Amino acid sequence: MINPLLELKEVSYKNKNNFTLNKVSLRIQSGEKIALLGKSGAGKTTLISILNGTLKPNKGRIKLFNTEFDKLNLYQKSKISTIWQDLRLIEDLSAEQNVNCGLLAKQSFLFAFKNLLNISSFNKAHQYMQVCNLKKSIFSKNIRKISGGQKQRVAIARSLIQESNILLADEPFNNLDPKLTSNIKNLLLITKNKNKIKVPNTTLIALHRLDLLDGFNRIIGMKNGEIIFDLEKNKLKKNHLNKLY
Amino acid sequence: MNKLKLNSSSITFLPILVCIPIAYELLINFHIGGIELFKEFIISAFNPKINNEIIFTLVKRLNETIIIAFFSWLISIIFGVIFGILSSEIFYQILNLPIFLKRFLNLFLTFIRSIHEIIWGLILMQIYGISFSIGIIAICIPYVAINAKVFSEQIENINLKTIESIKQINGIKSSTLITLVWAPVIETFKNFGLYRLECAIRSTTVLGLFGVGGIGTSIFLSFQTLNFQELWTYLWGLAFLIIISKELLKKFNLSNTSKKFLTSFVIALFCISLFSLSFFVYFIFNKNAIPFNSINNLLISNFNFISYDFLKLLLETIVLCLLSTGIAISFPPIFILILNNKVGITIIRIISFLFRLIPPPVLILILLMFNDPSISLAATTLGLHNAAITSKLLLANLHNQDNKQYIAMKSLGVSKRSSWLFGIFVKQANSYLAYCAYRSDIIIRETAILGVIGSVGLGWQLQESLSSFAWEEVIVILFFYSSIAIIGELINGKIKSNLT
Repeated sequence: MINPLLELKEVSYKNKNNFTLNKVSLRIQSGEKIALLGKSGAGKTTLISILNGTLKPNKGRIKLFNTEFDKLNLYQKSKISTIWQDLRLIEDLSAEQNVNCGLLAKQSFLFAFKNLLNISSFNKAHQYMQVCNLKKSIFSKNIRKISGGQKQRVAIARSLIQESNILLADEPFNNLDPKLTSNIKNLLLITKNKNKIKVPNTTLIALHRLDLLDGFNRIIGMKNGEIIFDLEKNKLKKNHLNKLY
Repeated sequence: MNKLKLNSSSITFLPILVCIPIAYELLINFHIGGIELFKEFIISAFNPKINNEIIFTLVKRLNETIIIAFFSWLISIIFGVIFGILSSEIFYQILNLPIFLKRFLNLFLTFIRSIHEIIWGLILMQIYGISFSIGIIAICIPYVAINAKVFSEQIENINLKTIESIKQINGIKSSTLITLVWAPVIETFKNFGLYRLECAIRSTTVLGLFGVGGIGTSIFLSFQTLNFQELWTYLWGLAFLIIISKELLKKFNLSNTSKKFLTSFVIALFCISLFSLSFFVYFIFNKNAIPFNSINNLLISNFNFISYDFLKLLLETIVLCLLSTGIAISFPPIFILILNNKVGITIIRIISFLFRLIPPPVLILILLMFNDPSISLAATTLGLHNAAITSKLLLANLHNQDNKQYIAMKSLGVSKRSSWLFGIFVKQANSYLAYCAYRSDIIIRETAILGVIGSVGLGWQLQESLSSFAWEEVIVILFFYSSIAIIGELINGKIKSNLT
């Protein structure tokens, strides 16, 4: 059996008094495109936060590249990138400075310093921003002065520039119009390299909209902090979705 | 009968009650011995001495003031940022360091912040003699700690989720840290750091009164010889310097600077911080500190600090703080309420500018022309000086506030003053009180200056002990000064957090 890229074993997470995740087990193989479905409060964001190491589970084990998460070095951990539901961009910095922050794992301290002084190279950031349908006119604009949809794409460009192996995304199509949603979804799910940029070949995306399930090959349904189904896309039936909503 | 309920607005006006005991004591001690001198002082304001010799001295003294103030400001900002980062939780969170180090550093910073720059100046002057470096170091010591507190508070406000998202990129820790703290540091520098230059100019002037040099020394010498025309030449020169420095700094905009300039600016900052650190170390360890015999002498104290006299001085200092704070809080809103028209506001602006301009030690010497030294006189001086500062902030905030409610109330036939009170001031009362709580921290520290000049409180005892090189007494007084300031800071912190 091939070792999974990312593995969760009996993971539980308790928030104050309630379990937001309860004995969740999951194996993610390289190349999988996973859609994570569930109502608000089902535990999707908690699961993503545990998968990227932001939250530490109360019980259970997490392995990345067959190594316990706590034993990974910074370089190994940087192989996971995340698009957060609430974007979590740095206000007061420009759009291109925010995208360059995605390079922190691969660059030196001097790069971080030059980025903040606005004297670093932004070529790579611009390449990724263009791929995310961002116009040149907003590259140097302060993040506070751009629209919600533009911020969303800045956050996507920041996570793509990390050139990670696994992309975790929490409702990344919020704030985007139908055309942009389609473009960005294709960008995240299709690894064919039209734009000479590297896109993670393993993706887990939390979604609310069922009309966006095309292109995924695995669907996971969550309810009350538990995985209630985990199946291939072509095996998904209406009754599965009825259990969720 | 209805119960009395206090809100922020009424709490702002209530401290005016401190004027009853103050007015009583001032009336008892009133004399007209110096009324002629006072007249001469006022007339000289409009007729300052202007000739080649005094202009030359003025320029020379202003240069000295600029050098001391600018370097102490710059160094205290650089090290304020460094210590601000070191004393914020995010630093220990990202570098995985034990949090007790933060607590230890905070305690140390609280101690050095609690002692006014004048006291540091007096101590250093007694140990090392008078020099420019003393002025810079004396200002830098508490300023670094004050700046560090402000920068650290702003860094602590970084959104937890932003911290998580940048940490999740898993860059090297130093890169993660600088990326997160950069924006709040720059923002605080723009909003607070630039204003600190004005404070540094004032502190340099006050230190000058005690002999460090700069315009303060000339002001004090002119006052001692009762040469008021010369005194006003120096005071107007100081006013010019403060206004010019403020205008220049307003034009300083980091975001519009060229990349070359920005790089040179950062390199210059780095060099200054290295130079100042090495100079400080050299200064402390290589200078001849004759009176500072040994640490043992300092720690073995036979000073009777529970004596009646000492407790009286301690109590006087606390009363002085309370009375001055009462004036500083209540005077600005009351005078704006009474003189609520364009002419009245202009008069308030001019008077408050003058009270900010004239250093408190000079102000108390002027008031001593027709009053005997007392706590009330010291409290009036300190209160008026600080009321001038709180009124500046209050007027600026009132000016920026929308006046829809004021117009609505006036349209209902409510009087102009009541409309101002309920339509405009009520909205500002909370933030004004929160600022006053911060201001009272400064008042506690400033009691030292008034104590030295006005013969009240611990400041006076400190001056006596320093003059006689009684280091054991100095240590005990510093301990009590620091304790009062720290307790005051804790109480004011609680008040501020309840208000905001």
